[in-house]
Amino acid sequence: MSRLTRSFAFRWALGIALWSTLLSLVLFAFVYWQTAAFLQDELSQVLRHEVRYAASDPSKVGARIETWVSEDLHSVHFAGLFSPDGRKLAGNLDARPQALPLDGEVHRIGTQVAIAGRRLHEDLWSAGIALSDGSIVVVAHDTDEIDRAQATVIRALGLALGPTLAFSILGGVLLAGRAKRRLASTEAAVARVMHGDLRQRLPVGTAGDEFDRLAQNVNGMLDEIERLVEEVRGVGDAVAHDLRTPLTRLRLRLERGREQARDIDELREAVDQGLVWIDQTLEMVTAVLRIGEIEHGRRCAAFGPVDLGVVVSEAAELFEPLAEEKGIVLALDVEGTMPVIEGDCSLIFEAVSNLLDNAIKFTPMNGQVRVGLGRRGDLSVVSVEDTGPGIPTAEREQVFRRFYRAERARQTQGNGLGLGLVAAIAKLHGFSLAVTEGSGGGCRMEILCPATHPR
Amino acid sequence: MAKLLLIEDDAATAEEVLGDLRGRGHEVAWAATGPEGATAARTGSWNAIILDRMLPGLDGLTLLRDLRGAGDRTPALVLSALGDVDERIHGLRAGGDDYLGKPFVLAELAARIEALLRRPTDTRETVLRVGTLELDLISGTGRRGLRDLDLLPRELKLLEYLMRRPGQVVTRAMMFEEVWNYRFTPKSNLIDVHVGRLRRKLEVGGEPILIHNVRGEGFTLTPDV
Repeated sequence: MSRLTRSFAFRWALGIALWSTLLSLVLFAFVYWQTAAFLQDELSQVLRHEVRYAASDPSKVGARIETWVSEDLHSVHFAGLFSPDGRKLAGNLDARPQALPLDGEVHRIGTQVAIAGRRLHEDLWSAGIALSDGSIVVVAHDTDEIDRAQATVIRALGLALGPTLAFSILGGVLLAGRAKRRLASTEAAVARVMHGDLRQRLPVGTAGDEFDRLAQNVNGMLDEIERLVEEVRGVGDAVAHDLRTPLTRLRLRLERGREQARDIDELREAVDQGLVWIDQTLEMVTAVLRIGEIEHGRRCAAFGPVDLGVVVSEAAELFEPLAEEKGIVLALDVEGTMPVIEGDCSLIFEAVSNLLDNAIKFTPMNGQVRVGLGRRGDLSVVSVEDTGPGIPTAEREQVFRRFYRAERARQTQGNGLGLGLVAAIAKLHGFSLAVTEGSGGGCRMEILCPATHPR
Repeated sequence: MAKLLLIEDDAATAEEVLGDLRGRGHEVAWAATGPEGATAARTGSWNAIILDRMLPGLDGLTLLRDLRGAGDRTPALVLSALGDVDERIHGLRAGGDDYLGKPFVLAELAARIEALLRRPTDTRETVLRVGTLELDLISGTGRRGLRDLDLLPRELKLLEYLMRRPGQVVTRAMMFEEVWNYRFTPKSNLIDVHVGRLRRKLEVGGEPILIHNVRGEGFTLTPDV
């Protein structure tokens, strides 16, 4: 029961029923009041007219009130002409109603009347006037007719109230039921999401109302949550997978070394190889943690003014010998005066280094890598362009995702975290990234830095 | 041979560090909690202190701050599982002389301890000499014996760094931090390539080797005479 009363559908139904009943009552009261006032008014005018008419000609008063009385078929007309000493001269009223003011206006007065030979006490609408000779004329009408009319209206109200209430409740139940059905399907979908089915979506109607918009927004939110969960799951799987490979190799190598090493040097060799693999593994774990740290924006203590020109030049200088070893020409093209931006110098250097590292890794012997810093509108643009195989358009969106390694990159060494780190660093700084095709057919990576940091 | 204090709550890590440093000829004491470490640091006389960032009972940085507040200037190296730059800054602000993120390689720790122990190098010298090698910091020129060396600015800095630490093993990370001033672990064999280039300028045509590669640890510059 308490669940029923808590249900908003029930409360809606009840509310709608009560409200429409209240409206009906007000309407009826108004009709009743108007009807009663109209009838009353009508009768008052007749009585006022009659009594004045009767009194207008003293010689015909008796005849006129007899006519008034005789016009009546239902014994509802009463009249009387009384001498100044109270004697009845004409009409069907035995005595002058003492309480009646002789002002020609209509008053409700209780008095004794004789109807069909019986004497009854009746309430009469009466009007009386004193004539110039001191005699009194009274014209009256039974109140029953108006009272009956009023009673009829009240009865009609009473009779109509039941059906009104019933229909109101029915309407309320139907309306609330419709809303409840809609809510129930939404509730069911939410319950399934709560139980872990993130692919579930809320039903969206075609009306485009507030409810539909809410459902659409919730669905958008679910899309984002699903994407994030997928990404986390993907990272988890990728970490586990990338850990298993070197650990398996490590285990085999150590096992073989332990069984087959003939002297301490051979054993040491096995251990050294193992250490290399462990270092690679740790490097990957550290990279994952660092991306996490950077993404959570927990490192801002090192934020300060950064001269991109210096960072880019130093990064190029750091990689120049490595490029030279591969016979790659590393060209640097830095525009003279660049705006100073706000950021973590070391992180930005690391991002540029990662781009350079990739560019050199994927550029074949005797190729070229160009590092640039220029302006595009309000943006400072750091670019790294190579003459490597490039990235197919379809894969460009994905390269900044953690552990993503382009098909062509599978053969080269790496953990697929370098660009993920670049993406995290860019996000921390409010930079955006772009991948396009380089002029030499290779890949062009850009870091777009707004002039004023939004922080 | 130095007297070292290790304040580290993880027994397994402590055991490895103790074993390694003792194997290198140091005398190392171990405290497992913050309060224990604070007492040991105050009462003993140490050449260097290695302390974990997070310790039971007393936070490592608080311990260090208290120690510095009391006027103790013993070189201290902060270890931490929190590897990020903010943490490093906090560690150094609290009075740490160096900072090493976990996981670390034992050789890296040993090299950094060594560097702390050998401080202070006299930084006022303007002409450095190691064997036949001579570096004039004012004019930015180097000579090996009678031969002038044609060095790029970064190579000068790298050589200066090595010449201030003759016979001492310096790791790639240490070089990267001190010579390039950036704090992350560089990928690939970047540092090796730079060292290799410097070596080709220093050791021409059968001259005795000056910069040695210490396997699994780093590089060391040794005098040739």
